[in-house]
Amino acid sequence: MNNNPPQLNIDISLSYSQFNLVINQAIPLTGITGIFGHSASGKSTLLRAISGLEKSVFGNISLGKIKLVCTEQKVYLKPEARHVGLVFQNSRLFDHLTVLGNLEYAVKRCKNNQLFIDDIIELTKLKTLLNNHINELSGGQQQRVALARAILAEPNLLLLDEPLSALDQQSKTQLLTMMLAIQKQLNLPILYVSHSLDELQQVCDNLLVMAQGKVKEFGNIHQVIHNLNHQLGDDLIAQQTSLSLPITKLCDGYGLTTLTLQDKQKIYLEYDASFKDKINNGELRCFILASDVSVTLTEPTNSSIVNHLCGTINAIKQNNNKVLLTVNCGEQNFYVAISAFSQQKLALIVQQQIYLQFKASAVRTFIH
Amino acid sequence: MINSDLQALITTLEMAALTTIILLIIGTPLAWYLAKMTSRSKVIIEAIVALPLVLPPTVLGFYLLIAFSPEYLPGQLWQQTTGQQLAFSFSAIVIGSVLYSLPFVVQPLQKAFEQLGDSLLEAGALLNAGPIDRFFSIVLPLTKASFITAATLGFAHTVGEFGIILMIGGNIPGETRVLSIALFDHVEAFDYTRAHILSIGLLIGSLIILAAIYWLNLPKRAGTKTTLIGKAN
Repeated sequence: MNNNPPQLNIDISLSYSQFNLVINQAIPLTGITGIFGHSASGKSTLLRAISGLEKSVFGNISLGKIKLVCTEQKVYLKPEARHVGLVFQNSRLFDHLTVLGNLEYAVKRCKNNQLFIDDIIELTKLKTLLNNHINELSGGQQQRVALARAILAEPNLLLLDEPLSALDQQSKTQLLTMMLAIQKQLNLPILYVSHSLDELQQVCDNLLVMAQGKVKEFGNIHQVIHNLNHQLGDDLIAQQTSLSLPITKLCDGYGLTTLTLQDKQKIYLEYDASFKDKINNGELRCFILASDVSVTLTEPTNSSIVNHLCGTINAIKQNNNKVLLTVNCGEQNFYVAISAFSQQKLALIVQQQIYLQFKASAVRTFIH
Repeated sequence: MINSDLQALITTLEMAALTTIILLIIGTPLAWYLAKMTSRSKVIIEAIVALPLVLPPTVLGFYLLIAFSPEYLPGQLWQQTTGQQLAFSFSAIVIGSVLYSLPFVVQPLQKAFEQLGDSLLEAGALLNAGPIDRFFSIVLPLTKASFITAATLGFAHTVGEFGIILMIGGNIPGETRVLSIALFDHVEAFDYTRAHILSIGLLIGSLIILAAIYWLNLPKRAGTKTTLIGKAN
């Protein structure tokens, strides 16, 4: 008896004149899987291949037990038969229909009809916009309609192709929060393509990194982000420590929230009223940029900087005049970016015990 | 005598209506095919479709007259199937009109389908809509103005035909005698009063139709804007 969760199995190749995509990867159909990479790395092409919009695919794609593509057996399911939803970068709404008309378009063609349109309207906060025409909506509103429409088709897998790239930060945060809520409530597996590591860090369980049409990394989101820290000279990658930690205490008067690292050490971040719902209820996704962390050789007890952790240097990696330290605190690795000057001044070496310090404001999270 | 003009008007409207319906039925898939075709060889099909725009109607009429005659295969097949001669029949002028007005229907539709692109159709497919469903639920509503333009242009151009009908239809009252032929008859008979009546009627009718098309093509909130193409006839 196989108790493993169903998987999306991809073993495909396709080529254009100057681009080859070769992917052999199994992706668990749970939670949100991020797909990260530069432009022209093949992210969107992969989504188009899974959804059936890319016809020149060779190999196999199966979604759970359903074969979407099997070149050997001449199986090629049309997009309309795959039950795979896709939200594009540009919303692709039908502008001859109202918002409600767009949602009903999906409902009318859905064979399961397990979802109630009113529930999805509520979830995507579209109630006041139902009778609006598409060109009366802002970019963020259009993407919300596109998301709701895709969900109402009740796909077995939802693909999101950079749906936030044209939106402002506020709309991004709102949509990311919505995506998380949708994923949890509907238990809908999502593949989410983005070239923003921040966005992916906030919502994804797993991360797949693509470059030049191939998979470079795949695994747990924190682990893959930490692996990316060692990829040098990439503008899209900000070296960071990526964490999911439980909120254990809120101190409104002090303006601080307390997170607990492995039941032992405390990490403080700035207070936010929305954290109230999260106390002892799930974990908060946050990250600390390596450049926001500094190092001392003695415990900084007389500092206004609230976070200081004791750890051991695991690795020192120098690139020109910059140094990336991997510091082990308990079982958690933290990443610290310092100058070569500081490293020499403190004479840092591997296995040395040091203290990390960073301000509460350096612990970043933008959706709660 | 007035009755004969009325008869010509009825024949003209019947011919134009039937031609328009046939043109929409065959012109839509042809325009779709041309819009989606990526091969460079599509220019050959486009050129063939556009031929009536530049060719003297009598050239097309001449070849159709030969093809429709009982000595040649199309004419023979028609006669075997229907028992009637094809040349100088109502069917002949409808077939001639379909060929002659083809670009007036195909070109606006092709432009509209090209402008529409694939993105919305892909979105429809991912919402479980099949190809026929997508055509009626996405393509047709978004290119409605172009369909009306194509139908109106096809109809108006058919009403205005002369040369090709004279070649393959002759001048049989109630069968192939259409308004443009009736007008020619009146001029030949120096009956300028009735020629004036028909001319003014055709002129105003054509003006109204063209104004309606331009009105339909005024920029609107939604829908695909198309442009008029082809030559005035």
